[in-house]
Amino acid sequence: MNETANAVKAHSMELATFYVGKALCGIDILNIQEINKHFEVTTVPQAAEYVVGVLNLRGRIVTILDLGKKLGLSQIQADKNNRNIIVRSQDEHIGLMVDSISDVVTADTDRIESSPSNINGLKGKFFQGVLKTETSLIGILDIEEVLKE
Amino acid sequence: MFEDDETLQMYIEESLEHLSDIESDLLTIEEGGEDIDIDLVNNVFRAAHSIKGGAGFMGLTTIKDLAHSLENVLDLIRNMELVPDPDRISVLLKGFDKLESLMNNIQSSNDEDVSDHVQDLENITKTSLPEEKQDLVAGVVDLALTDGRIFAQVSQYDVEQRKNEGHFIFLVEYDLINDIHRKNKNPIKLLETLEKTGTIIESRIDFDSVGTLTTWTAPTRIPFQVLYSSIIEPDMAETLFGLNPEAIHIISDDMIHLSDATADSAPPAMTSIEIPQEQIVASQPAPAPIEMTVAVQPPAMEEVKVVEAPVTAPAIQKTVKAKETPQENTPAEAASKPMGSLRVNVNLLDTLMNLAGELVLSRNQLLQGITSSNGKATELAGQRIDMITSELQETIMQTRMQPIASIFNKFTRVVRDLSKQLGKSIDLAIEGKEVELDKTILESINDPLTHLVRNSVDHGIEPTHLREKIGKPKTGTITLKAFHDAGQVNIVISDDGKGLDPEGIAQAAVKKGLRSDQQIAEMSDKEKTDLILLPGFSTAEKVTDVSGRGVGMDVVVTNLEKLGGIIEIESTLGTGTTIQIKLPLTLAIIPSQIISVGKEQYAVPQVNLDELLRIPAAQVKEKIEKVGDADVVRLRGNLLPLLNLSEVLGIKKTYVHPEDNAEHQDRRTSISDRRSFQMDASGEPLNGQERATEDEQKERQGKDRRYHASSAINIAVVSAGSYKYGLVVDELKDSEEIVVKPLGRHLKRCSGYAGATIMGDGKVALILDVSNLGQMAELTTMAETERVSKAAREAEEAKKRAKDKASLLVFKNDEHEHFAAPLNLVERIERIPSSSIELVGGKKVVQYRGGTLPLYELSQVANVGNLPEREQQEIIVFKVKDRELGLMVTPPVDAVEVSLEIDDSTLKQACINGSMIIEGHTTLLVDIFGLVKELNPDWFEEEKAAAAEMTEDGQKVILFAEDSAFFRNQVKGFMIEEGYKVYAAEDGAIAWDLLDKHKEEIDIVVTDLEMPNMDGFELTERIKNHPEFSHFKVIALTSLASDAHISQGERVGIDAYEIKLDRENLMKVIRRYLTF
Repeated sequence: MNETANAVKAHSMELATFYVGKALCGIDILNIQEINKHFEVTTVPQAAEYVVGVLNLRGRIVTILDLGKKLGLSQIQADKNNRNIIVRSQDEHIGLMVDSISDVVTADTDRIESSPSNINGLKGKFFQGVLKTETSLIGILDIEEVLKE
Repeated sequence: MFEDDETLQMYIEESLEHLSDIESDLLTIEEGGEDIDIDLVNNVFRAAHSIKGGAGFMGLTTIKDLAHSLENVLDLIRNMELVPDPDRISVLLKGFDKLESLMNNIQSSNDEDVSDHVQDLENITKTSLPEEKQDLVAGVVDLALTDGRIFAQVSQYDVEQRKNEGHFIFLVEYDLINDIHRKNKNPIKLLETLEKTGTIIESRIDFDSVGTLTTWTAPTRIPFQVLYSSIIEPDMAETLFGLNPEAIHIISDDMIHLSDATADSAPPAMTSIEIPQEQIVASQPAPAPIEMTVAVQPPAMEEVKVVEAPVTAPAIQKTVKAKETPQENTPAEAASKPMGSLRVNVNLLDTLMNLAGELVLSRNQLLQGITSSNGKATELAGQRIDMITSELQETIMQTRMQPIASIFNKFTRVVRDLSKQLGKSIDLAIEGKEVELDKTILESINDPLTHLVRNSVDHGIEPTHLREKIGKPKTGTITLKAFHDAGQVNIVISDDGKGLDPEGIAQAAVKKGLRSDQQIAEMSDKEKTDLILLPGFSTAEKVTDVSGRGVGMDVVVTNLEKLGGIIEIESTLGTGTTIQIKLPLTLAIIPSQIISVGKEQYAVPQVNLDELLRIPAAQVKEKIEKVGDADVVRLRGNLLPLLNLSEVLGIKKTYVHPEDNAEHQDRRTSISDRRSFQMDASGEPLNGQERATEDEQKERQGKDRRYHASSAINIAVVSAGSYKYGLVVDELKDSEEIVVKPLGRHLKRCSGYAGATIMGDGKVALILDVSNLGQMAELTTMAETERVSKAAREAEEAKKRAKDKASLLVFKNDEHEHFAAPLNLVERIERIPSSSIELVGGKKVVQYRGGTLPLYELSQVANVGNLPEREQQEIIVFKVKDRELGLMVTPPVDAVEVSLEIDDSTLKQACINGSMIIEGHTTLLVDIFGLVKELNPDWFEEEKAAAAEMTEDGQKVILFAEDSAFFRNQVKGFMIEEGYKVYAAEDGAIAWDLLDKHKEEIDIVVTDLEMPNMDGFELTERIKNHPEFSHFKVIALTSLASDAHISQGERVGIDAYEIKLDRENLMKVIRRYLTF
């Protein structure tokens, strides 16, 4: 699906970046529905441990995942910087809880490199590629891979 | 083609309306056979006819041709010249199907090839005619007008037929612009008027003379030609048509010329003579010589439209009505989504309008109330809005409700076509057509139902010859039934066919690797049959083009489950299959009970809820019992399994302390355990738990929290399918109507939830799936227990045997003490009036059967409570050493069969072997033998003497194998008491070693049968097959000697069977064998 986005904007993409633990990650902004800080989730007993719960997003039931746990890191530490990034995937809205959000970065697609096997402790398979900026390294998340059950 | 959207749309709608009735009419005509119901045939004929008429006008040549051929056949039937036999009706049905599909794809209809259909129909027409007329059918004539123009390519047959009926034939030329549009007439209405006085043979628009948009001059006239036949005299014609005489041509015989080209599927409009022949040459010659080929493909089910409310009113009336309000149609939309519309009763719409008005009024009141801060007015308005909303909801739901007839009706055709194709004879009985279902559900069950019905026809019902052979009626019956039950719609599809073969299905499942042999062995027939629903399953050895039974059954299940429906299969091999589908009335909104556990709220659908139960704290101990490790509640005499929601879902249990309102982790392990709190508080270290403070200790001494009202237990009694259980929850809240929303894909695996809903406060609450929760908790279903397969039962029995099952008689001494004694020692149970008990010589006796029965009570020998004094006394009569004695007990006295898991240390005392838990009560096991010995030592003189004698003669040695420590100690104890020396072993293997070691000493072997490592049978077999040991007698000890056991024992050479707790007999047998 990012390919289609890329096809439309062949040369650059905008990435919403955020922190999961110490890792700076990015998602193609076209995949993002909204970013909010609703945390009145209803816990779902018996769900996978990375599921924080479900949230009422204007009449829609949205599953919130702890992105830290989902990626195999430790749990997102609760503090006031936490945000839910609501993404669209397979006709469904899913929330990813992250530690904090950062800037929106415009990335030249040519400068995106294929991902190494490990980025700051995160498995390479979760990434479509990495973008090096002057100050940091942004891992571009492969949403479908991340959202796999 | 005609491009006036509005008129075209009207035509399509009307035609589809006509078509919707045709199918059932044709089927009725078929049933009637030679008894032709003229009215019905006329109905169908008229439908075909008006479709043809309109098509000609619209320039829909393909539709016109097809309709025309259909009309010809129907005309013959109408005139009794043709018998509507099934073959002919089939051709007609197919023709109308095609017509309908053309109607639904009107834009591309002219490109479709219908020559097959037309050919088939013409063949019918032909065969029914006398030889000399047959040529007419395919014959085409041109009509040469007096002004030199030619009205080409008219069916000769039509013209001849009309002439024979004494009709005059006219060619009437209307001008669409001047004669119709300017005069505010409607072309379709015009055709209808004409139909009243005669027959329209053809109608065409002469597009050629209109010109194109590129020509500068706007067209001044669009000629619309109608070839018309009527009995009306030519001189009347002018008035009839309302046209100038120039526009009316009377066709005389000499104007009809045989056309040189044969019929074509798209006859050209009025052509002038100069038109080159190419056009006709290029057109396909009629495929007359080709043999009739009846398509064997099953009708494409996807094409069958979801019919809206059945049209019962005469079609004509509707047509007129539709015409009066043509503005209301939205043709563009309707054309792109032909079936998106819904017919709604006007009364319902009125009600809705009314309610909407009410809602507006109430809102105004509410707003006023709020602005003026008038609490009372606000409250009133709120109540009104509440009422209106629910009424509104109900009414809107009603508009979505459609009778199931729309789906059921088409199955007549499906079954008819399929059975014909398969050479079977099948009747379809339909019941409950009037049952209504939500439109969305109705649409979605179409496919699954079609699949199931086809399965029944294809695989369920046997071929006719087979049915005759096995003595079934030749004609099979499939019943389709719909009915309401418990807020659900039930659809039942049953056939009297060959049924499903559970073994075959099971084998197939194993072959496909869906289940293992082991799993299959433990399944009941019903469970095996249900395997058909597994994904990837198909028993059809050869998949027919009609359906493969099992192919897609999983798809059926998935589709139904999506609708919240369930499917149940019941089948008896040889007699038939019944498939029952249960569906909710509607999907969107369901009434449900809100409950809460921990911090979260959950919804239980009202359909699953039987009742709510609240057990006050004070009664918890009595009402809730433990069976095995499961909690049960006694509800009106029945035991209801309890399921603790927090346990099943793994929610951390918390409680709010009534005194400090703080939340604490609950440490209670079982619901009925009401004491653990106090024990915890005093017995456990304080490891950071803030509650066991001294203050609290004091509080508790006053009024214990476990008797506090908040400690009451709330139970929602629920049932789903074959499950029924009590759901233990923290709180029972309101009952609410909730809107069901699906859960995301990450939660699909949490089978305990059916979805989620949004509560009034905006929070999400999960909807519980009662049936899946039951499954998760591994509750056995009520139905299952009845249906456990033999294999499963045997396996269970084997397990029970391994645990030393025994029959015990349970009774009480004083009200609170429970006792049990081995049933095999009991002779009788008697009830005597207390007054008949006599006290003689310091002993209690009663005159009994001509003798004196000594009576004892447990308190004489054991440290237990005294018997309460009552007017009547229950006595258990035991027989020991051939003498009877009575033990006075307190009822209820009851026989139970339990696994002996005896604790022989905690409560052991004189004459009490130990204790065990029976039906939730700690029960003391009475040692009857010990009791008699204690009370009547003189009865045992003989044994003592024998024992003494034996010690003198040289002690006899017994090898005793027994795995249960309790029995080992018991039996060993009384063997030693009788003067034997005993080598005790914990299992057969140890016994074998001991035997080898002490083979010189040992005289006899006594063994338990069920033991780990090496059981009694194996031990016996080894002993009997060993040259050195084969002389040893082997006595088997069992708790329950079954026939199967005994025969197995005989095979391996067991010499005698004795029952474990029957000391007397065992000793007798040992003595007998040893004296040989």
